Amino acid sequence: LNGAVNYKKKWDIGKLIYMDNISPEDCIKRWRGEEEEEEEVIDRDNQDDFFIKKQQPNNLDDKNTISPNRKAHSDDLENFVPYFDTMENLISKWSKSASFKDLQKRFIIAPKIATNEEE
Amino acid sequence: MSLKSSSLKYVVFQGSKNFRLRIVMATLAGKPIKIEKIRSEDFNPGLKDYEVSFLRLIEAVTNGSLIEISYTGTTIIYKPGIITGGTYTHNCPNSKAVGYFVEPMLYLAPFSKKKFSILFKGITSSHVDPGLDALKWGLLPILEKFGVRECALHTLKRGSPPLGGGEVHLVVDSLIAQPVTMHAIDKPMINTIRGVAYSTRVSPSMVNRMIEASRKVLKNVGCEVNITADVWRGENSGKSPGWGITLVAENKSGWRYFSECVSGPGDVPEDIGMKAAYHLLEEISCSSVVGRNQLALAIVYMVIGKEDLGRLRISKKEIDAKFITLLRDIKNLFGTQVFLQDCDDDEDDMLLTIKGIGFTNTNKKIA
Repeated sequence: LNGAVNYKKKWDIGKLIYMDNISPEDCIKRWRGEEEEEEEVIDRDNQDDFFIKKQQPNNLDDKNTISPNRKAHSDDLENFVPYFDTMENLISKWSKSASFKDLQKRFIIAPKIATNEEE
Repeated sequence: MSLKSSSLKYVVFQGSKNFRLRIVMATLAGKPIKIEKIRSEDFNPGLKDYEVSFLRLIEAVTNGSLIEISYTGTTIIYKPGIITGGTYTHNCPNSKAVGYFVEPMLYLAPFSKKKFSILFKGITSSHVDPGLDALKWGLLPILEKFGVRECALHTLKRGSPPLGGGEVHLVVDSLIAQPVTMHAIDKPMINTIRGVAYSTRVSPSMVNRMIEASRKVLKNVGCEVNITADVWRGENSGKSPGWGITLVAENKSGWRYFSECVSGPGDVPEDIGMKAAYHLLEEISCSSVVGRNQLALAIVYMVIGKEDLGRLRISKKEIDAKFITLLRDIKNLFGTQVFLQDCDDDEDDMLLTIKGIGFTNTNKKIA
């Protein structure tokens, strides 16, 4: 009522896909409701812990991840291997039990373990 | 009289994006295309050597195709002929792995006049192109889902970059009139993880170290993990040392998710094994019925299916720039659009519906 409400247009991905005047990258951004600024903040965040983690001994193939930022990767659509986050981020993501439990719903696991996980 | 006077209408594309698929889809659609501005702003403008090599391959497996490349190589005109297949040996340039050439063949092979039996020579693994095990365990099962059952990729020799020296034989024996309509609306459950770790011209301990590292990550999942060691020696192991791993999560209904990692200079096997394992977990979390690297194949097969609605459940994470480019190219060439719908039971998923264009294999038509 007092104008503080952020009216963000909710985009329908089905329509966005076929709007030829919008580049595919922008379609994704609009659909996810991401602003340009937000993206940059995320990038900076990534870079921050990228440098911190670099001091760790088991610093994995950071040269191996073809492109640190997603944009460079999606530019070349001939790449067969899909985009993956940096190893550091992946390891921290999958060592969290919450994301791991989510994933385990996709697996048929032996009952012994399933009882431990209360499934 | 001549071809030129009939003023063919080209479907026009710009840029080097999605090059192989555009050629492949034009062949399936039977529509002439023109691709302009191929790397026109680049320091080295025009087609790359591997793209020209790919066009040669297309020329070899089709009859009546016409390919015209402009003097600078930045524009090409392609008028597709009919897919004939047959026996052929393709020498892949060392700038791209054989996967780059084998993958597009999977789109064409089942709709050919004669059976496909193509021998590819060159590098068999790379960081950006599908590896042999990824093709074999990741993409061929997708074809199987669409009714292409007799399809095999035989590894005769492995060849790591930079010198290569590998040999693979693609044999597609089933020739079908059109693909089966797909209805995949449930998320399949995974029951095993399998994998292949290979090495060429290095100590077999590399393979075991990769396997160990992957198992360490995957053991937390709690399902069966079974990774095979595949050590290549002597003549058949190509000209360069190298190693890599492919992991496949599979289920009883025949869907597969996979990830692969290949060694680079200075890499440690433990890191590669771990990386592949984490990539597999990530890939599973990003996918619904098919993985991101299988999506294009599945969608194109659905598009050229019967004039019937095919359904495929996808994850919202699979919708990326690549996906949108693919769908736009499909619309331009086949004139069909997909319909996306939210899934009722899971907000992360969407249901993709496509009406097939009723494509039939020209060689199977009954007069």
